[in-house]
This record gives sequence, C-alpha cells and structure tokens, in this order.
Amino acid sequence: MHLLPRHFVFIGLFLLIGITMALDIDVDVKVSPYTKQMHAYIDSIPEGSTVIMSFDHEASSLPEIRPIALAMLRHAFSKNIKLIGVSLYPEGTLIGYRLMNNIGKEYNKTYGDDFVYLGFRPQYIAAILSMGESIEKTFPQDYLGYQYNAIPMLTSITNYDDINCVISIADGSLTTHWIEYGGQFDIKILGAVTAAMVTTYDPYLSSNQMTAMIGGLRGAAEYEKLFGMKGGGARGMLAQSAAHLYVIFLIVLGNIFYFRSRKKGAKN
Amino acid sequence: MNRQIPLVVCFSFGLMMFLQYFSTHTVARSLNLAILDYWQIIFAFTLILGVVSYIKVNMTKISRGIDRPYLIVGLIGMISMPIMALIWGIKADSPFMWMFENVQAPMASTVFALLAFFVASASFRGFRARSTQASILLGAALIILLSRSNLPIPYAENLSEFADWIRNYPSMTARRAILIGIGLGSLTTSLRVLLGIERTWLGGEN
Repeated sequence: MHLLPRHFVFIGLFLLIGITMALDIDVDVKVSPYTKQMHAYIDSIPEGSTVIMSFDHEASSLPEIRPIALAMLRHAFSKNIKLIGVSLYPEGTLIGYRLMNNIGKEYNKTYGDDFVYLGFRPQYIAAILSMGESIEKTFPQDYLGYQYNAIPMLTSITNYDDINCVISIADGSLTTHWIEYGGQFDIKILGAVTAAMVTTYDPYLSSNQMTAMIGGLRGAAEYEKLFGMKGGGARGMLAQSAAHLYVIFLIVLGNIFYFRSRKKGAKN
Repeated sequence: MNRQIPLVVCFSFGLMMFLQYFSTHTVARSLNLAILDYWQIIFAFTLILGVVSYIKVNMTKISRGIDRPYLIVGLIGMISMPIMALIWGIKADSPFMWMFENVQAPMASTVFALLAFFVASASFRGFRARSTQASILLGAALIILLSRSNLPIPYAENLSEFADWIRNYPSMTARRAILIGIGLGSLTTSLRVLLGIERTWLGGEN
C-alpha cells in the first residue's frame, strides 16, 4: 500500500482530467439503443404538442445534468414542441428557468406562447398528484408571477390529459415518483438521469412504466450526436474515458500489490 | 386521549385517501385536491421548522465554541440568501442569483466532484479479489468500465454486448428484488401505522 500513497492517486486523477479537458479531441461514441429510443420518441411528438420538463436536480450535479438538459431542450424547441418547465427541487428551479429561457431565445421562442416556466412546488408527491387533477390549482401563477389564465399557451391545458409526456431531468430518485404517482394518470414518463442512477431505472424501462431514458454524460454525448451538435457531453467524453481507464489501472495495480503481499506473507 | 385523537385522525385520512383513489366522483376528486393542498402547506411549515432548528442548534454550538468560524459562515449564508431574495428578488441579474450561480453551484459541484477522487482511491485500496464473490464483482466492474470507455480495443462490440447483458439480467434481477422488497415493506408499515399497531411516529413510549 505504501508504494503508492493516496495523494499520488489524487494528483494523477487531477492531472489526467485537467489535461484531457484542455485537449479538444473528439471521441467517437457509439449511440446506445436507450438514447436512440429517447431521440426517436421526442422526434415522434407532433408539432405543437405540450411537454412538461421537470428539473428535479440540485446544483451539485450540474456538470452532468446540464449537457443532457441542453441537448433535449434544443431538440424539443427545434421540433416546435411547447414546453412547460417545473421543478420539484428548490435548487433546480433557478437552473431550469435559466436553461429554458436561454435555449428558448436561441430558437426565437416566445415566453408564454411557446414555453412557460411554472417554478417550484414543495412536497413532490403532492405536487405530482395535484397536477394530475389540475395544473392551474397546483401552480396558480408561473415563476415570473403571471396568472395561469393570462398565459396564452396554458389556456387549453387542464391536467396531464393535455400533456404528451413528462421529461424528468433528475440526479436522484425523483423520477421514480413521477413513474409511481404520475403513472397512474396514464402520462408517459421519460427520464434524463445521471449515470449513477441508470440501473435504478432499468426495471421501470424494461416494464414500460418509463417510456425512454438517457443517462449521464455519455447519454448526453450520444444525444448530441443524434441531434447533430457538439456540446458539453461530447467535450467531456475524453476526460470521462481517461478517468475510467485510470480507475481500471488503479484496480489492476491494487490487485497486483495485494497478490504480491499475500505471496510474501505465505512465504514468510 | 392525547394518543387516541391522532390515531383516529390518521386512520380516517388513510381510509379516505385509499377510498378516493377508486372513485371518479367530483366530491372525491375535489377532496383529493384539497388534501394535496394541505399536504404542501404542512410541508412548507416543516421547512420553517428545519430553518428554526438549524439556527437553534448552530447558535448553541457557537456559544460553546465548537467549529465556530464554519458555523458562522453557515448561518450567514442561511440568513443572507432569503434577505437578498426579499430585497432584490430572484431575477437573472439579482444578487441572489449571482450568489447562487457563483457561490452555491460551484461549491456544490466541487463537493460532488470530490467523489471521483474517493472512487479512485477506493478502487486502488479496497477493490480486491479477496474471494470468489469479490472476484466476480471486480470482473463485472472492469467489463462495464471498459465498455463505457469508448476505447478502440479489440472485441469492443462483444464487450459492450456483454456489459448490456450484465445490466439487463443480473443487475436488473437484483434491482427488481430490492424494489419488490421495498414495496412490500412500505405496504406493511403503512398498514401498521393506519391500524394503530405501529405508534412510534406519535413519539414517546408505546
């Protein structure tokens, strides 16, 4: 163990990520069937349909979540899909508004006609169930303080019956609540989640309780490739691949040391 | 009597929410909506309780001199953010938003990013093939990591297929078992609470 002190492991990782992030080298990613499924679903949504995008994450996961959210927002706006932004985590509220507003401007979309941001509601289970009854009663005003009825694109929206699907952009288990509680209203749930959470949602995807899912920075890179853009996902792929290799190297090295010390112990 | 009233309220509301789930009647729907509103209001009050509790605990620790500088920074953050929001609002160019984007978000991301360093350290120090089970786990981890690394290695396609198999069969089987276990556990606990068998939520002794 003393052959490689802990701080060398840390410095090695820091240098590796720093250098690979600075290099502008494209890594060709193979698009997984999961990402293809998500892209195909968004592509199939008819123009003018309304989709809820729920920013269910905290600021800590922003480097991983942001590329996914940006790629999906760009795809949705390019397809002229109307978006309703909500957040069931306080920290996601500001982030979601900023992302939606910026990408909306990029595609010349008008607030209130093409997209709207309703903001945050406490107690996510109650908020999900309540929106199934009435979105207006759950969010009487939007994030900017406009009355629900005064927003043109919301006049024809009562509850989930008027929504094509919900995209939950999450870094934790909140998508599970969308599936379990939103699912009872027959609304399609799509998940854009962090890589660590992917296996949590596999059973829901396999049982069709979840319509589609993309995960992590790699998912973002794959989605960007399908959409034909270069974003944060693609830029982070080299660093992520290098970090994976570094971890593999450390596991192998650790085991070599372990077996050598065991052999020595047996001899002695 | 102090314990009987909460138990009756709990049972009545539990039963009511259970029954309304199966009804499409207007009364049942509006009752559901009203209760969901109250749920959110009660949750908002718990946030206030959390803030008061945080301030109280920290003030006690500050007076005792334990980690004083850190606690003071925490308290300043807790008090200054709502004040900024109340005075200047939370629009894009407000001080609140500046603090959120330039202080809170980078700090939260930094703490989250530290996990990568702990994973690297743990992979070297703890991920050992000490037993057959540990060796299987190690092998599966290496296959998944390699398959997600976009490396131009031989048999990359086969490796990726094998990684997907691990994800879709052994991993998902374990996940399903855990989910079913959680579901059954939640159901049992809910029934125990509703029927008044489980009373620890009332506090004190049974």
